[in-house]
Amino acid sequence: MFLRRIYQFLMIYFIGLGVLLLLKYGLNLSNYVIPGLSEIYSTGTTEFARYFNDVVNTLSVAIIGQIVAVCMALFVGIIGRQATWFGSFVKVAAYNIQAYPIVALAPIIFILLGDGFISRLLIAAMICYFPLLLSIIGIMSEPITDVEHFYNVTGKMRWQLEVKIRSFENLNKLTTVITGSATLAMAGTIVAEFIAANAGIGYSIRIALYQSSLSKILAALFVIGITLSVYQGLLEWSGAVIKKGWASSGGPT
Amino acid sequence: MHTRHFILQFVISFFSIVIISSVVSATDNMTEVTYRLKWLFNTSVVGDLYTDTQGIFKAHGLDVTVKAGGPERDAIRELELGHAQFGVASADQVIRALAKGSPVVVIAQLFQVNPLQWIYRDTGTTINNLSDLKGKTIGITYGGNDETIMRSLLAKAELREKDVNLYSVRYDYTQFYQGKVDIWPVYVNAQGIILSEKLNDAGESVQFFNPADFGIQFVANSVVTSEKMIKEHPETVQMFITALLKGWEASLLLSNKDLAIQTIRQFDKDTVLNILEQQLEITRKLIKPNDRTLVGQFNIEAWKQTEAIMLEQKQIKKPVHVENVLKQITR
Amino acid sequence: MVLECHNISFKYPQSENDVFHNLSYKISEPGFNALFGPSGIGKTSFAKIITGMIRDYKGTINDEGLSTLLYTYNLERLPDWSSIGTHLKKIIPSDKNNQKEKLIDLFGINEIMGQRFSQLSLGQKNRINLIRYLLQDFDLLIMDESLANVDEITREKIILNIKKMFPEKFFLYISHNIIEVSKFCKEILVFRSTHKKPQTVSVNGQNLQLDEKIEKELLEKTMLEIMNVS
Repeated sequence: MFLRRIYQFLMIYFIGLGVLLLLKYGLNLSNYVIPGLSEIYSTGTTEFARYFNDVVNTLSVAIIGQIVAVCMALFVGIIGRQATWFGSFVKVAAYNIQAYPIVALAPIIFILLGDGFISRLLIAAMICYFPLLLSIIGIMSEPITDVEHFYNVTGKMRWQLEVKIRSFENLNKLTTVITGSATLAMAGTIVAEFIAANAGIGYSIRIALYQSSLSKILAALFVIGITLSVYQGLLEWSGAVIKKGWASSGGPT
Repeated sequence: MHTRHFILQFVISFFSIVIISSVVSATDNMTEVTYRLKWLFNTSVVGDLYTDTQGIFKAHGLDVTVKAGGPERDAIRELELGHAQFGVASADQVIRALAKGSPVVVIAQLFQVNPLQWIYRDTGTTINNLSDLKGKTIGITYGGNDETIMRSLLAKAELREKDVNLYSVRYDYTQFYQGKVDIWPVYVNAQGIILSEKLNDAGESVQFFNPADFGIQFVANSVVTSEKMIKEHPETVQMFITALLKGWEASLLLSNKDLAIQTIRQFDKDTVLNILEQQLEITRKLIKPNDRTLVGQFNIEAWKQTEAIMLEQKQIKKPVHVENVLKQITR
Repeated sequence: MVLECHNISFKYPQSENDVFHNLSYKISEPGFNALFGPSGIGKTSFAKIITGMIRDYKGTINDEGLSTLLYTYNLERLPDWSSIGTHLKKIIPSDKNNQKEKLIDLFGINEIMGQRFSQLSLGQKNRINLIRYLLQDFDLLIMDESLANVDEITREKIILNIKKMFPEKFFLYISHNIIEVSKFCKEILVFRSTHKKPQTVSVNGQNLQLDEKIEKELLEKTMLEIMNVS
């Protein structure tokens, strides 16, 4: 699973790079506009370790942000699944707020909370929170009647069981949504860093832009892509493992 | 026979019409060029806007599209890609581009004094010597010119990084307002005025720390074009720079102040009049510090120093001899 | 103990026509009774009205003495996260363990206790589902095609044994199988098409018990009767 993701990324990356180089040599552009292959390679090798650290830094914020977002989305999804007025209220509110462009709020967050870890975390979490919430509310409020009927009519239903049934039945969907939201969390963190933070790969890209260094940006994109592919691969893999484990361990009813 | 004659007549008259109309349209159509600025429309580009709106480009036979710049815009790249024929770039951009083989040529140096300076409250902080920087919390934009300049200043003062506290700066000035950072980088003719105005309102007075006063000259915005333009369309370059510098001179004349302000206001609707007036006054001092200075003249020593600083800080690997691409065009 | 439905009318929220109109029905003693009729005629809706799953109907229901009424249908599933055996252990009170073992044996599903629900055949799924309902506390159980995918011989065995094991319970068996309802049920409520009046007609079945033999002629008579009123 990792390999497939990494292949896919490498393919896209090198196609993109190929197009750039084609443009460069086709239009006879200088290394300032599009760096040559040797420059990209040498920048890549010299900057790899530093950018890798930056990406790990960004990724760790993104992962924590994603965990926060998943927990919040589950929490709201679980409350919002109920057919009570509060449930409906939460659901309607969640649907409406999700349209709000979080990136536009980012500068305000940075002004209020400074440009440290918390701001990055908050933006990452918020960017992947809303799409997650929509899917999770959708999953949580859709009854699996054929399974739930027995527990409902015999009075054995508990909210934990209901959540468990609905999660279990939609595990593939949940894994896809969570894997997808990893990209969002990462993108969110990078954008946040780009705007205002003082660490992470987004910040390094910002600096590379100040220095007009496309080769550094290409190197950074490479490291981001590889790391993200591995992370997403890991998420998919753990989704499969959970499903397998759940299906064989005999969890509580 | 008759038919053939008719066809010949038709062909001749058709081509005559085409040729005549193209000649007419060539004299009618002025040379179209695009001029990419470095930053958004504000007082810093008053001369560029003035030249355009007062019809000075047109009077020189040019139809110029002036485009605002921005953080992700790079005029030198656009020259190479053919999206622009002229542009504004800072000296460090030019030097970096030269280091990577870009065929860029500088045809005028707009700022004689770099507007990038540091603001500080004069209560508590005094910077009479570079050694006064010791122990201060200094705002810098990592990767930005202010980092390069500050590092040169520190090197000159023989201070090491641990002798000061470097603080990473972005668009938000809260840390400076709160006094957590002692000196903060600003463009004196832009945010510098807004910040000092705000602090004055709060009963505090400010000073600016200008690196040039301490022997660090780092060239800022200049007008650039491509080698190709110089070779293939020297007359267009000549007309462009003549018009532009004429426009800049006029925009800075005290007698044209109202017209200049009016020009800026067409494009920059967010800045209040009082601030605009102050910005214009400072901009004048940066571009034309005294009557003897001709707008656009090169300070070659400053360019050399800029290159030397970048070389020293390993931003370029080997010398590019930037002085060789400074082409003073006779007006 | 009695189940008495009086003048029940019901229509779906979006629909203009009643599914059934002024339907009355009464069972006053335990046993195996049936609801019979073509698909879409309203048997399931009626079952849901009786068990309280549908509430927006007109008319009155008296279920004096019947405290727990359950409805089960053939498409129900058990969660797939643990084995059938584990599920049954968790949802069946331990005092019914003997009955459980007996039913598992009778239903012929001993060997699938370690498997997951999704791995079973349709017939096995139906039987597992029915077992878990039979071992809940209930007074009336409505079985909506609950043995639809079970073979005829096993089905007969199951029904006869249920009747023997739970003589004090009320059962309502929904089925399309005319032989089956005629043979095993005490009273068959036949649902007729909407334009016929009255909409339902009651027919007495043969109510066969375990170890009894059925008389072919009587069975045929019941079947004919059902066909005639349908």
